[in-house]
Amino acid sequence: MHGDAVRHDKVKYAFIWPAFIIVLVISIFPLIYALTVSFQSVRLVPPLPPRFVGVDNYVDILSSQRFWGSTWTTATIVFVSVAFQYALGFLLALALHHNVRGSSLYRVVFLLPMFIAPVCVALIARMVFHPYLGPVNDAMVGLGFGNLPFLTEPALAIMVLISIETWQWTPFVTLLMLAGLQSMPSEVFEAARVDDIGPWRRFWDLTFPMLLPLSVAVIFIRLIEGFKVIDTVFVLTGGGPGTATETLTLFAYNEGFKKFNLGMTSALSFVFLIVVIVFGTIYLAAARRLMRRYA
Amino acid sequence: MMENRSLRIVGLVGCLVWLFFSFFPLYWVFVTAFKPPLAVSQGATYIPFVDFQPTVQAFRDAFSGIRGDFFGPIMASISISLVATVLSVFLGAMAAYALVRFEFRIRLASGLMFGVISIGGFVLLNGLFDIGVPYALLVVLVLALVVSIWMNRYGLPGPVLGNNDVTFWFVSQRMFPPIVSAFALFLLYAEIGRAGFPLLDSFFGMVLAYTAFGLPFAVWLMRDFFSTVPVEVEEAAQVDNIGRMRIFIQIVLPMSLPGLLATSMIVLAFIWNEFLFALLLTSGDWQTLPILLAGQQSSRGDEWWAISVAALIAIIPMVVIAAILGRMMRSGLLSGSIK
Amino acid sequence: MKRLLLSTVAFAALGAGTAMACEPDYTGVTLNVSTQNGPAIASALAAAAVGWEERTCGTVNVIEFPFGELYPKFLTAMSQQTGDFDVIGFVPAWLPDFSTYLSSMPVELQEGSNWDDIHPVYRERLMTWNGEVKSATMDGDMHMLNLRADLLEDPEEMAAFEAAYGYPLAAPVTWAQYYDQAEFFHRPDDGLFGTAEAYRRGGQQFWYFFSHAASYTNNPSNPGSMFFDPETMDAQINNPGWLRALEEYKRGLDFNPPGALNNGSGDVRPLYAGGTVAMNIDWADSGVLGSTEGSIEGHVRTAMLPGSTEIWNHVSGEWDTFDEVVHSPFLAFGGWQLAVPADSENPEAAWDFVAEVISPEVSGQAIVTANSGVNPYRFSHYDNLENWSSVFSEEEAASYLGAQRASLDAPNVALDLRLPGFFSYTEILEIELSKALAGQVTPQEALDAIAEGWDALTDEFGRDTQLAAYRASVGLPPL
Repeated sequence: MHGDAVRHDKVKYAFIWPAFIIVLVISIFPLIYALTVSFQSVRLVPPLPPRFVGVDNYVDILSSQRFWGSTWTTATIVFVSVAFQYALGFLLALALHHNVRGSSLYRVVFLLPMFIAPVCVALIARMVFHPYLGPVNDAMVGLGFGNLPFLTEPALAIMVLISIETWQWTPFVTLLMLAGLQSMPSEVFEAARVDDIGPWRRFWDLTFPMLLPLSVAVIFIRLIEGFKVIDTVFVLTGGGPGTATETLTLFAYNEGFKKFNLGMTSALSFVFLIVVIVFGTIYLAAARRLMRRYA
Repeated sequence: MMENRSLRIVGLVGCLVWLFFSFFPLYWVFVTAFKPPLAVSQGATYIPFVDFQPTVQAFRDAFSGIRGDFFGPIMASISISLVATVLSVFLGAMAAYALVRFEFRIRLASGLMFGVISIGGFVLLNGLFDIGVPYALLVVLVLALVVSIWMNRYGLPGPVLGNNDVTFWFVSQRMFPPIVSAFALFLLYAEIGRAGFPLLDSFFGMVLAYTAFGLPFAVWLMRDFFSTVPVEVEEAAQVDNIGRMRIFIQIVLPMSLPGLLATSMIVLAFIWNEFLFALLLTSGDWQTLPILLAGQQSSRGDEWWAISVAALIAIIPMVVIAAILGRMMRSGLLSGSIK
Repeated sequence: MKRLLLSTVAFAALGAGTAMACEPDYTGVTLNVSTQNGPAIASALAAAAVGWEERTCGTVNVIEFPFGELYPKFLTAMSQQTGDFDVIGFVPAWLPDFSTYLSSMPVELQEGSNWDDIHPVYRERLMTWNGEVKSATMDGDMHMLNLRADLLEDPEEMAAFEAAYGYPLAAPVTWAQYYDQAEFFHRPDDGLFGTAEAYRRGGQQFWYFFSHAASYTNNPSNPGSMFFDPETMDAQINNPGWLRALEEYKRGLDFNPPGALNNGSGDVRPLYAGGTVAMNIDWADSGVLGSTEGSIEGHVRTAMLPGSTEIWNHVSGEWDTFDEVVHSPFLAFGGWQLAVPADSENPEAAWDFVAEVISPEVSGQAIVTANSGVNPYRFSHYDNLENWSSVFSEEEAASYLGAQRASLDAPNVALDLRLPGFFSYTEILEIELSKALAGQVTPQEALDAIAEGWDALTDEFGRDTQLAAYRASVGLPPL
């Protein structure tokens, strides 16, 4: 089933077309709409007639301090939190896979954070991190740090946001890596065990390389989704003080759904898309190189 | 085996630490749901009966309906997200299977042609000839597809895109920030509704949007799970002249069940919590839970006890599902029997 | 229980005479009425719906959305004419952006005793846009100063205060007195703090700032000049009056409980009701919470916002001084309103429902129903003191209603900002305000940045149209 047969077997279209058509139909119009609008000045409030402005929207965005600031904030939150999520998630998956004591309990509890709506997580976090009435404050005071302004000091606020992202999305990594571990053929490990290869080498020589493609996919999805972080920021800091903790999607949300400055939002969305594609391509290229080294 | 034992202990301690870390906020929600207002506003309280007198007032408020109707959104959320999850995982798995087992070759030029025809054609039809959005879109879509498929047959110059690029195309649909897409989809649904086929605030409209929403994850993840399935079994079946679809459903899917379940849970989690599309595409009948949850943060400040009750109600169906799927994923139960 | 009984009786009485007749007959009509998630406002609409359904045989479907998403939801639905909503419950600040999509109130509703019973500030100003009545107030709203009788009337406190500040302790009438008292009662070691105001971005922060600013910028000799120059539309927000307001608003942080930068209006309320602070600034909610669920029951006192003897005059560029304290109570938010979108399929029934909600009988019940979120806005609401006995003691009710009535009747009452593109203006304001409060920039720098941003927005939206809209919003004739 290689060569010509694989290339020309018509049945492959029957497999891929349903998914292809649904995604295309739902996403093509938003894309067309956003693209055309991004070259216009379109405002629903106050209702001004649309007018063509060329690349003005893009120029405005690229020359705005606020855009670069929010890109930097978003990238910081995403890269740091995804690194934590991957490392912790993988370790937990390994522990669960080897059936540590009580793993059936963990398996359920560990998953729960992922199933709570982000806006809820954000509200819960605001309770927990309340600088005066929250338990984290109690703990910090107990440890002798005093009342920390968790949400009104930019650096602290960003750390809080990173820990919330990590809390909510580590289960995502755990779940998928666990599934990956369970789909690995067990013969390989039997052989390794017979050869008396230590667990450390077994991980780096067998498990890690075999799960590398899955790891790449998992991290990639987390990166893409992470770039869209909005609810936690919106609820916890509102992007403040000033715009010190504003993320790209929050910026776009305010332009789009508060000010209904649709031209600007669309242009911003495309710039965002480009930013993500750039980061994504760099990441995938690096990942491919890594995979080749192991292959 | 000394090393193994110490590793086990490290693993256990790590799990316990993480258990505390992930469980504490949930515990906090749980106890807060029973707190009277003053037990919140006068400093942190931890243990019911010791720190404060618990009350079920917040639950009573929630079920009496003064904080919004919970029953409707729960049913809407469950039915929409289950159907959309099953659809997107199944269709996504099919596409992923095709991407693993077959080779696709798409010329970049024909892809670009699709873009040019669809965007240019739409602007032309809708902008200059004033044809309604749904009709213009339908015409361009069919035209652009036919032309680009036809052009793909007859050699075009330029680079050729392979399976990796097709997969990337699927995932790239998730890269576009949802703000504009949600608004544009709302416009499209409104236009189609005016043409006589209501999609706004309808089950079908929501399932369609969410299926498209979940498909990229399903394709991207299932591709990696399928790639670990050995091809030999399928080849044997093919020799016996069993159709592809049957091979897929009866052999391939069961063999990657852990992956299938994990993917379903991921997709379900995303759909269950989706907010922006739900906000714009629904109003009365099919409003989903996240809208109701967000509403608990009222204009007049945070009533933590009410927020906590709403969060608990929203998470219970997911606890059940996570428990069921978690059991099914217990190691050895699935993988051992197949391989 | 008594309240519940009363309202059932009222509804039954309404229903009994007309239930058979369906007057007017709206059988088969379903109204989609939408507002923020309950209980506030939504429960009042649901309660009114019961009576309306009995009277007209129609059905009402109350659809709720999160407050933060109400504006985009309504705006997208109305601009696309989906016909999703027959009645919307919203905020006066959005009226300029919504007005093009709204139908006007039928003239027969704009006459008679029910109409004249509505306080003119609402009837003539907040409910109209460009000379047309586009909405109906269903809730009165303003900032007030909430005080505590257990502190103000304590002989020891009174003596100590007078000894320290040289004048007797009483409800503060100027902001200077307000800060004296905040300082006097600020005793963190005893768990008592001077005052509570909202400072969190997205937590109604800027309305608190406006409440301070009104006293220094709402000059009676230049009406409508608080936010913009009504001749040129130049932003006024960086003038010395506003600067003084911001400096004072920021100074208040010293007398707030720790972590006040995270407090929204919702956090300010329990602080007062729980007795943690000596006073607060809030809408009417603090008083009700304090005397029903709080630990200061019976001691709730309410006063009009403090005023000032100096008000900035932007024409002369100097401070005008007055012999008497001028109160410029600020109608922050302005209360929830109802309107009927132009794309509604049942405008007649929809307006009939609106009339039901705002009728003196139904609204008179709503204002004394717990958690309805409805506050007085009719003369009859202020006069019927006995309705309030379930919530307040007699003294409490008198000061609570008296403060509200006095605010509305104050000759120099200050209205909230209402302008097309409201969110664009307030976004700049919130960003710079939070920077100034966090100490990243000086107050003057922040205000200059806001003024610059506002002027740029005005130019972008069209200075002439914005000027015309602004003049309309403050009740000035067109230029």
